[in-house]
Amino acid sequence: MSTITSDEVQSAATTTVEKPSRKRKINWWRILSYLVLLIFAIVYLGPLFMLVNTSLKTTPDFFKNATSLATSLNFDNFVEAWEKASFPRLLLNSVIYTAVSTTLYIITAIFVAFPLARGLVRGHKFLYTLFVIALFLPAALIPQFQLILNLGLYNNPVGYMLFFLVNPIGIIILVGYIRTLPRELDESAAMDGCGYFRFVWQIIIPLSRPAIATVIVLHAIGIWNELILPTIYLTSEEYFPITRGLIVFQGVYGSDWPTLAAAVMMITVPMLILFLFLQRHMISGLTAGAVKG
Amino acid sequence: MNKTRWLIVTIFVVFGLLLVACASGTATEAPPAEQPPAEQPPAEEPPAEEPPAEEPPAEDMEAVTLRVLTWQNPPTVEFVEAFNEKFEAAHPNITVDYSVVNANDIQTVTQTRLTANDIDVIAMFGFANAAQPFMSEVEPQAWQQLVQAGLLMDLTGQPFVDNYDEATIRDAGTVDGKVYQVNLGRVSYSGTYYNKDLFAEYGVEVPTTWDELVAACETFKENDIECMTNGGADGWPIFVGAYGLLGALYPDQAAMVEGLWTGELKWDDPETLELWEKYQVYAQEMLEPGTSGIAGDAAPGRFASGAVAMFPNGVWYAGAIEDSEPDFEWGYIPFPGSDNAEDNQYLFGKYDMGWAIAANTPNEEAALLYLSEFSEPDNYQEFVNAVGFIPTQPGATLDTQVGQEVAPYLENFLVGFEQFWSAPKGAGQWANGSQGAAWFQPFGEWDDAAALAQQSQADLQAGLDTLE
Amino acid sequence: MTQYLFGTSWKRWLPFLFLLPGLLAYFIIALGPSLATSVFSLTDVSGIPGIPINWIGFENYDEFLLRGLASRDNLAAITRTLIFMFFVTTIQFTLGLVVALLLNQGLKGTRYFRVLFFMPVILGVTIQGLIWTLFLYPLGGPVASITNDFLGLNLGFLGGPPREAFAWVIVVQIWANMGITMVIFLAGLQTVPEELYEVAEIDGANTWEIFRNVTWPLITPVVNTNLILNIIGSLQAWQLFLVLTGYKAGTQVMGYLVYAEGFGQTSGGAGASFRQGYAAAASMVLFVIVLVLGLSTQFLVQRRERRLLG
Repeated sequence: MSTITSDEVQSAATTTVEKPSRKRKINWWRILSYLVLLIFAIVYLGPLFMLVNTSLKTTPDFFKNATSLATSLNFDNFVEAWEKASFPRLLLNSVIYTAVSTTLYIITAIFVAFPLARGLVRGHKFLYTLFVIALFLPAALIPQFQLILNLGLYNNPVGYMLFFLVNPIGIIILVGYIRTLPRELDESAAMDGCGYFRFVWQIIIPLSRPAIATVIVLHAIGIWNELILPTIYLTSEEYFPITRGLIVFQGVYGSDWPTLAAAVMMITVPMLILFLFLQRHMISGLTAGAVKG
Repeated sequence: MNKTRWLIVTIFVVFGLLLVACASGTATEAPPAEQPPAEQPPAEEPPAEEPPAEEPPAEDMEAVTLRVLTWQNPPTVEFVEAFNEKFEAAHPNITVDYSVVNANDIQTVTQTRLTANDIDVIAMFGFANAAQPFMSEVEPQAWQQLVQAGLLMDLTGQPFVDNYDEATIRDAGTVDGKVYQVNLGRVSYSGTYYNKDLFAEYGVEVPTTWDELVAACETFKENDIECMTNGGADGWPIFVGAYGLLGALYPDQAAMVEGLWTGELKWDDPETLELWEKYQVYAQEMLEPGTSGIAGDAAPGRFASGAVAMFPNGVWYAGAIEDSEPDFEWGYIPFPGSDNAEDNQYLFGKYDMGWAIAANTPNEEAALLYLSEFSEPDNYQEFVNAVGFIPTQPGATLDTQVGQEVAPYLENFLVGFEQFWSAPKGAGQWANGSQGAAWFQPFGEWDDAAALAQQSQADLQAGLDTLE
Repeated sequence: MTQYLFGTSWKRWLPFLFLLPGLLAYFIIALGPSLATSVFSLTDVSGIPGIPINWIGFENYDEFLLRGLASRDNLAAITRTLIFMFFVTTIQFTLGLVVALLLNQGLKGTRYFRVLFFMPVILGVTIQGLIWTLFLYPLGGPVASITNDFLGLNLGFLGGPPREAFAWVIVVQIWANMGITMVIFLAGLQTVPEELYEVAEIDGANTWEIFRNVTWPLITPVVNTNLILNIIGSLQAWQLFLVLTGYKAGTQVMGYLVYAEGFGQTSGGAGASFRQGYAAAASMVLFVIVLVLGLSTQFLVQRRERRLLG
């Protein structure tokens, strides 16, 4: 039997990330740690720098030498990208798709995860395995296409967002986390006459904030960066998410890389902000979720 | 906190759903093509491009949205957008809804949009690689499947079809005697660009035979000029650059394909061995070191910079070369793959973009009108100039630089191997010997021409052997 | 089923009722179509309506696994997929763990490192491919300048021999996804109480012993999660190949093959057909591989977890 009680897990789960450093043997290790981290940082910064560098170049410069340093800070690409790719409108589309889909998903996912975590539904073990198998499933683009078509939801934002109601990774994380919440909560709430819905909505959800933050980030990023689904299912330009807007920079025999790079950088900003905002919740969130696997 | 959360989330979701419902409200009306006309641009007179007077008079015109799809290619897209504006101005009841997708996705999107009946006018490549009688158990090509499924409109007998030359309609647009596509242009891929200035500087004559080409390369290399470059990073430019070698040995490439299928011809025949050896020389001695790192769209720039004497690839790069370096003097000749000058007269290529119409389109009249106007000699000429195709209309002239370079060889334009070949099921990946140049080091792993030739034949044979 | 506490009679069905939307969505959007795929694999469906569909039994599988030398190429693709999975999983797992351990010390700037290592995930596959294409540019690119110009090696990078290109894609895949592994490990490391470390140090254990006897067993659950996600993810991954190498002989993996066959993009220009039935068979082959590896991994790790943590 583990020496870790769920209480300790709970308190550890909500501990902040920055821990006081252990003073004794650390100096040696500290230097080594920083060194290793620095090496990793270079490996990560290097390619990312290519993106920034490319976005600052002029197109002819880029074709002359793709990898040389940009000689001047050329912000025209950003302006051009903003205008050419109809940024404001498409960005709004992406925001709507992501926000609405993620919200709907989270709500349905919690009401799937809670009963499965607590065993409140008949056949819950089977259902949980079914969701795990969802990770393995083969791609089914054409049957899905036929389905959407027959439902009359082709070229329709509602039809498009349907795809994002399903995400097995989220269920797995949520189930794991909820399992660590003590059952005494259920009991005391029930004794107070709390109904099922109220209990989940007002108690479980706030307590699961960390896991929810994690799932939100992963799910939102997936929706935001999606390109194949919009290409197939959203053919009217007014529905395009911003990823579709990038096509104006891509050619068959050549693309306008600098402007594309600038566009990409701008597109990344919202998701970066989301991550920065939810970071702290995420760390403690994945803890308990992953503890039970 | 709980109540606020409740409120915020609810508002969020409701707001989102409302937005979506409004948006989908208009969406579900779109397919039936009854739409109020969009804001019209002020009626500017298109310069000297008046629609011909035989237009049906504008009585009884319902508002129509015409959906057009092409793949992404900046000159094409630019031209089509300009054309659409003129078209809309001339026909105020028609709004053109023009979509562009990545070339990688065009196959997929063609299928989905035709299936969903979400498209009226669609761009397609010229029909090629049809299953021949001697090819058993070969799956029909994508376009054959579309025709078979009744998704493309039969254009036989339409007046604008006659604007195009017979060979085009027959070779690139006809299935079972019916016309389904009008093809807008040919491209040649078996030639090579060459740097006129460099040739003059080192006193090298334009090569007309293989030996002359080899000698020319030597001369350049001795003077520290690289002989050839290509977009090796993308893979396909390497073997496309060698299509001239294939053509020099076997000008009748349709017959070559048949011979390979029936066994009359083998990749490792003594005569064909010459092909593999030349592939190797091309890949390892002519192409500059580092070719494998050059991106496809960086190659024209590299050539235009004057560091390399030749650039064997298709005419589609002409525009990029000019954009890189407008003052550059270059020419285009057939890649001299044979030792006899007469064999090097041909230019091989394919039919590139063409227009087809969805069979189930609700806007038949508008779609036919669109094609009709596009096919008018004036509009067509402008298109060809913008995009750089070799024209498929008899009256059109080759105004572009590359057009003029290519003009002397036009009579000897032949459709290339790539457009005829289908591999038998069960054939290995080395069966398509026309791509052999890309398999040699440093692009692939082979270094022995004879061994590769044998492997290629073995891979092909393996497929042929499994046929009933 | 545990005892339901929130009411009696019809209220007992509330959990199921609220679960229904999520479940239905899953069935309709994911499970149903996937079942259809498995049925399609036994037909010659093209994907285009209006073309007759014929039941052909296992012919597609036969063609994929046994026919001529094409099967040699397909089996090579399967092998390659497994190799890819092996290298990506082991390296990504290890690096993710190392970085998480390093960042768990509360060093200054941890927050920035965390975001930096997670950036690729935020950027998405297409961008990852774009920036690495530039970073690995063989003529004068950053890496090439060091390896080829300075060190005199003759690396071909992504345009080079298939084996080398394949290796580079592995590198990029690891770079791209290590962030997720790291974040999950960091979370797991939070559950290890400080006191245990201090006790171990007092007992005189060195860093390695602390890790082996305290840390490692206690993070078993996240180890398991990461193992499963890594293995399955790397078996199914193919989009990086699309962006970095294209459909190059000697580099194809199963996921790419399925996509290319289904939508007629295999020959790189020499014409193609829509063969959804055949592609379905290929994807079922991949599914079986994933299922076997996934479930057996799941079984083994759950067993170990029960043994270690009770």
